[in-house]
Amino acid sequence: MSKEKIALCEDLADVMPPEYQELVATATFGNQDRGWKDIGSSKELIEQHSLCAGCPESIAFRFIMSSIPNPEDSVFVGSTGCTSLVFPQVGIHNIHSLFGNQNAIASGLQRALAVRFPDRVKDVYVLAGDGATVDIGLDMTMQSWFRQEKFTTICFDNELYANTGGQESGLMQKGFVAKMAPVGKKFEKVKLPEIAFESGCHYVAILTVSKPNRVEQAIRRATYVAREFGPTYIQLYTPCILEIGKQSMEGLDEMKDSESIGGRFVMRELMTDEVKAFIKEKEAEDKARRKQAKAVTA
Amino acid sequence: MEEQYQVLPGPEAFLPPAAASQGIVLPDPGQAHIEGRLVDEEEAYEYAARKLLGGKVPTIFPGPLVLWKWNEKAAKKASAIRRLANALPARLIPMADYRPKYPKIDPAVEINPNHPNLTIWHNKIDVCIFVGVHCHQANLALKIIRGGTDCYTIAMCAQAGHEDACLSFRDISPETIDKLAATVERLKKEGVESQAIPFEQFVMSREGVVKGDV
Amino acid sequence: MNKKVDGQNSRILLSEKVKVGSKGPVNLTVADPNEMFFEAKRKPAFLTGSEVIKEAIRRANLDMSVAYPITPQSEAAALIGELFSEGYLKEYFRGESEFAVMGQCAGAAFGGARVFTTTAGPGTLRAMENFPMWAGSRLPIQVCVTCRGINSPLSIQPDTLELYYMLETGALVWHAETAQDLYDWILGGFMVAEQPDVHLPLALACDGFFVTHTKDNVMIQEDEICLPEYDPYRSPVPCMDMEVPPIRMMRDPFVMKSNYISYMTHASWQQEVRAAIDRSRKHTKVIMGGSLIETENLDREILLVSSGTAVSQGREAIRLLEEEGIKVGLVKIKSLRPFPFEELREATANAKTIFVPEFNVAGWLAREIKACIPDNQRVIAGPHVAGGMTMPSEVIVMEIKKGLGMKVEALSGRG
Repeated sequence: MSKEKIALCEDLADVMPPEYQELVATATFGNQDRGWKDIGSSKELIEQHSLCAGCPESIAFRFIMSSIPNPEDSVFVGSTGCTSLVFPQVGIHNIHSLFGNQNAIASGLQRALAVRFPDRVKDVYVLAGDGATVDIGLDMTMQSWFRQEKFTTICFDNELYANTGGQESGLMQKGFVAKMAPVGKKFEKVKLPEIAFESGCHYVAILTVSKPNRVEQAIRRATYVAREFGPTYIQLYTPCILEIGKQSMEGLDEMKDSESIGGRFVMRELMTDEVKAFIKEKEAEDKARRKQAKAVTA
Repeated sequence: MEEQYQVLPGPEAFLPPAAASQGIVLPDPGQAHIEGRLVDEEEAYEYAARKLLGGKVPTIFPGPLVLWKWNEKAAKKASAIRRLANALPARLIPMADYRPKYPKIDPAVEINPNHPNLTIWHNKIDVCIFVGVHCHQANLALKIIRGGTDCYTIAMCAQAGHEDACLSFRDISPETIDKLAATVERLKKEGVESQAIPFEQFVMSREGVVKGDV
Repeated sequence: MNKKVDGQNSRILLSEKVKVGSKGPVNLTVADPNEMFFEAKRKPAFLTGSEVIKEAIRRANLDMSVAYPITPQSEAAALIGELFSEGYLKEYFRGESEFAVMGQCAGAAFGGARVFTTTAGPGTLRAMENFPMWAGSRLPIQVCVTCRGINSPLSIQPDTLELYYMLETGALVWHAETAQDLYDWILGGFMVAEQPDVHLPLALACDGFFVTHTKDNVMIQEDEICLPEYDPYRSPVPCMDMEVPPIRMMRDPFVMKSNYISYMTHASWQQEVRAAIDRSRKHTKVIMGGSLIETENLDREILLVSSGTAVSQGREAIRLLEEEGIKVGLVKIKSLRPFPFEELREATANAKTIFVPEFNVAGWLAREIKACIPDNQRVIAGPHVAGGMTMPSEVIVMEIKKGLGMKVEALSGRG
């Protein structure tokens, strides 16, 4: 939908709830240079969330939704879990259907949108938890990469099943004691970033959501590369503070600890030289455009 | 011979049946239904106009398809809905989207398809119009309203109509909404008076309610 | 219990966006389906059931199909791939399992595409979680179920047990007897399933091998015409393409919350899906020749009531019995969901004994019939075969004679 179509009918606009009037007036639809810095000065695409107080997932949602370059033409696919409690409040079409089938849904969706709108860029994103991505849905996650489906898969890695109450997951660390791992997890955290790269993802990033600029950069890169090359994958550490026994204000510290030297979430990006060159070019374009826009405003 | 099911205001049941499963069939083009009875749509204009004029709190619930200017026809429908609201007069309470909002909903200024009864109860709405709501969501809301309230429901549907409303038009357009407004005007001229309790339509801004009754 | 829907409306209703005469895929021209189905000139074609599926899909103005190999639908799925390579549909690929394929079909349908796929037996069961999701999400996907046995032990042979599992998924379920049914109902199925007041998936079943792998004469349209394209903006739920409000929209959100009214939303949602099945009656009648059932000689005291190829075997059994002076009437059930309650009650009003031959061990059709008609001790659930056995007409003859108290010699098993 073009930005112009995200508008209210004049004759009924003044009965619309305030949040929609604000969305139409100040959300950054149609601004390809939108980013995390808009938070606070424009209407966010998330109206509210029902996650736990201080949940890093909620801030991850805010950074992602403020960073996607084309929200007026983006569709998200989720899966069952904490993320699907947030999605009804997001000002972008999103699909929840079953647990674990998100990359199958996205494969069909992206192809259908490409067929129906051949002259438009329609970005498709999967956003699901680690249980959905790596355990029950791993077949469909990887098969979509093998098939070179052109969309971005984002995994909220909280290293366990959060919504069902903290059970062992494939992305959990070895030795961690959890429900269904009563004597500690017996095998290593699945190396999905490496698997993703070997399976055909053209851009892979693993990071925490402690630094919004890094999340923004990864989201934009993954989006651009998915449009031009094929599948991309982002794994974000969003610790479940509830299940690992942390307080509401401790999420940020947990992420910072995990990304310090030697930590399992030190930011890494995997890509080919070709993709590296493409990203460089694309970011130079972005920079030039922003500079010009600034010059015009000044 | 089984008795023909009638689609009447409730409260009908703990979980009322969908009218379609009780044998109520949707109207064909050119027709409408009144309480499950298929009629020529002309008859329904007159019947609906009288019902609306006879209500104490007649209310129009415009849905996303007419609140958002996603095409020119939507804008025209919105204008026609405003004219109809003014002609009656009727309150306008939007169904802005379909996400479950309970318990955060403010029933004075919005309605939600997952718990529409809250808005009906809060405002004591006795007759209402659904227009511009996706059919599936409208059917859920209409049936829940029938289950738990005594509100008379009217559907102005752009597709095939709704058996779960007490009265339903189909294939509506800006022109047919205007036609209902014109029927209201004619009846008023003929001496049928609006029974609506006087009210001032609320006006909303980005900050909240600016004026009007809530 | 449905009221019998009279044919006030004998036409297929179309989107106002349909442009009859516009260009369809390859060399096809978009036709008014009313003319295409009932008036257009037809020519005979001698085809296998799989080829029939291909010929119907060629004319279906399809956007997308996803394929996966499983006998006996593999050939049809591969032939649709050939149509893709010729340009008759816009997208096609092989998925990784039936569970994934049905998800991929759902994704495409959420995005506003007309979608078709095929499956069978174990594939139907592997995909099963998807079918209620399709229905609950109001996705008008068509899946052709070429019935075969369900493990264990493995069988690739005809058996209709899987349809029992399909009956309460919320999908429309039709059961084709012949290749002609299959051809006409694939095309008509899109027109019914996509009606805004229906908008549900359709499981179009046929009996594996008996229909898919045998050749039959089928009348197909002579002219190069096709169905109008699907209009996703008549959908009763928003199409997930960011082109239709509300943009703050999840399909489908969790409506459950720990209070009475939210659970009621879920219950009402399920009722609405069943209501949509009921609404399909009047549209289905149009493409099924006026009724959800077909009948012959309802004045007779003995009736055969069945669906699928068991009906064909029944027809021959009736002829054999006729030679011996035993008169039997016939009811062919075309649609299992919606189920023709009223039609069946009327059709069986005079019958003293009702035989229900079936290709499955459960006898689910007999149960459905027993649940619907008065004095259901009249129903004799059989004969049954299963696991790929054939059902010779003589077996039906024998069952009927036995049921009438006549002395018969057993037709020996040939296991």
